[in-house]
Amino acid sequence: MNIFNIAIMEFKRTIRDHRTLLFMLAFPIVLMLILGTALSNVFDNTIKIDKIHVLYTEKNDSHISSAFHTFIKDVKRENMYFSNTSASIDGKRAVKQDEYDAYVEITDQGIQFYGSERESMKSSIVEGMLTAFTDRYNLISNIAKEKPNKVQTVMASSGGSYVKETSLQADRAPGSMDYYAMAMTTMIAMYSAISASFLIRSERIRNTAIRLAVAPIRKMEIFLGKILGSIAINFVCILIVMAFSQFAFGANWGSNPGMVILILFTEVFLAVSFGLGISYMIKSDQGTRTIIMIILQLASFFGGAYFKIGNAQGFLKLIIDLSPINWAREALTKMIYNNDLTAALQTAALNVGIALVFLIAAITAFRKREGL
Amino acid sequence: MEIKNLTKKFGDFIAVDHMSLTIQEGEIFGLLGSNGAGKSTTINMISGLLKNNGGEIYILGKNIATHSKFAKMNIGIVPQDLAIYEDMTAYENVRFFAGLYGLRGTELRVRAEEALEFVGLSDKQKSYPKNFSGGMKRRLNIACAIAHRPKLIIMDEPTVGIDPQSRNYILNSVRKLNEMGCTIIYTSHYMEEVEELCTRIAIVDHGKVIAEGTKEQLTAIITDTKEIWVEVKTCEHIDEKSLKEIKGVNTVTIEENIIKIISQAEINNLNQIIQFFINHGLEIRSLQEQAPNLETVFLTLTGRNLRD
Repeated sequence: MNIFNIAIMEFKRTIRDHRTLLFMLAFPIVLMLILGTALSNVFDNTIKIDKIHVLYTEKNDSHISSAFHTFIKDVKRENMYFSNTSASIDGKRAVKQDEYDAYVEITDQGIQFYGSERESMKSSIVEGMLTAFTDRYNLISNIAKEKPNKVQTVMASSGGSYVKETSLQADRAPGSMDYYAMAMTTMIAMYSAISASFLIRSERIRNTAIRLAVAPIRKMEIFLGKILGSIAINFVCILIVMAFSQFAFGANWGSNPGMVILILFTEVFLAVSFGLGISYMIKSDQGTRTIIMIILQLASFFGGAYFKIGNAQGFLKLIIDLSPINWAREALTKMIYNNDLTAALQTAALNVGIALVFLIAAITAFRKREGL
Repeated sequence: MEIKNLTKKFGDFIAVDHMSLTIQEGEIFGLLGSNGAGKSTTINMISGLLKNNGGEIYILGKNIATHSKFAKMNIGIVPQDLAIYEDMTAYENVRFFAGLYGLRGTELRVRAEEALEFVGLSDKQKSYPKNFSGGMKRRLNIACAIAHRPKLIIMDEPTVGIDPQSRNYILNSVRKLNEMGCTIIYTSHYMEEVEELCTRIAIVDHGKVIAEGTKEQLTAIITDTKEIWVEVKTCEHIDEKSLKEIKGVNTVTIEENIIKIISQAEINNLNQIIQFFINHGLEIRSLQEQAPNLETVFLTLTGRNLRD
């Protein structure tokens, strides 16, 4: 009961501390909005292809001419427009000058293709479609020679399409707002360490440690009550940030809310234990705060809270891997986008394990100390 | 409450040195000592904040080493420094601390309200201490210590830095609590408060009780000294060292324009003292021999002023 009362008191007092509350709520939401909007291009994987313009010339009514005209009509549906050049225009130069995306010469010997270096994507598409066309033309020519009665059947089966759409299902990836919702939420969860570092120390500064210590309750009840209250209020803040990002910014938190909450809860637990542990390892208030702030800033920076760090190698990768923000964010990404629950459970276990180390260190120091 | 051979060391420094003391139920017991004398350390050991290195403490006949919870249940402490949450209302403060003593529900509410009423803060129940005056905060500090109705209340300088009105209120509260059956241990730098309130007094110096008794018993100790007060027009250039060289003079303290001289009673040195002032061009306005008071006793026994 005493633990519960102390936890409620801690919860109430933090809610009344408007400055801390504003920091825990407004800071991640504003950063989410700014970074999510400003860096949205970094997360955009789609490429838009505009109309493709191809210049062509035909020489001497070649035998391929009729089939090629049918091809031109068919590919119009795919936003590809062929224009016949007049004798006065140099097709290759027109492509070089970026007036066309490709130039095609049709002769009796076959089809010559010149692609634009600037519009390599478009010219590759044209090249691919022309290859498809010539392959089919050759096939039908050969069939016509061997079994003329089958030509109609083969042509009908192709349906006049030169593009077959095949979707390769790549790993789903978060958009910018999805990314920053995870990054900011995991970052602010770690910031719980700051308030936790003052959890017991603030009682000593305020002298209320005397009243708590002379009361007929066990020291551990005070300790656990304070931790419980701190975890509760910080976790509520994290849930609010998470909910806000989902409803206001449409961030994707996946279909496993329980597991998301587990990761975030264990991260808050880790942060509170870390803050408390450091406060017992370093004697001065200022020293504690400075060390925690440096570690949090490094963890945020290398953990990808401000921007995504991709393809890191060697020492940089080692530093990145040491950031709890990175663990949590990666686990959330794997779970939300690949349905990988194993990563989530591993991260939760890691968070709890490290939290316990700090907590045991803090408890040992706390028990040795006279008073609080 | 009984203390037997109580000892506390901080490294090589002995803060409390085999102190023994007995306080009867229903007393207001004054603990006098200058800074670093060992008062606060003693109080902290009685209230369970510090562990003693030696000796024993008994509260209501029970050793606190083996009956810690019983002792804590029966002690209320008013710390020297304010120990309240500024961001919780007066009522929430009292209710929270009283709740730590096992009070629940209606009983807790009633006790918290009674404690606030006792210190005259009933109408400020929902106010935050950050908006209180120094005196009101001190009163709330007392309310937090008494809501669980302790039998022994330890008040460590409860009137520091407050206005005379709040000070009177607190002194009256101490008397009332005593009338209600509480035993009180009272420490203060204000000698007149201790003289006015306490039924018995102990003077502590270097971690030991050097004198103990009623005010009358303590002043009776001082039979071999006299106190002479010399009021001068201005005392900017007094040579204390030369004054102390006069035969029989033990201590000299200066408070504003009054020079307080404690001297051996059997030596008649009044003429030399007056001559000293004349020789130094100091205009004497009045001169009187004081009957010994607690301050004289303290000064004589410790060689220091209480506020040193």
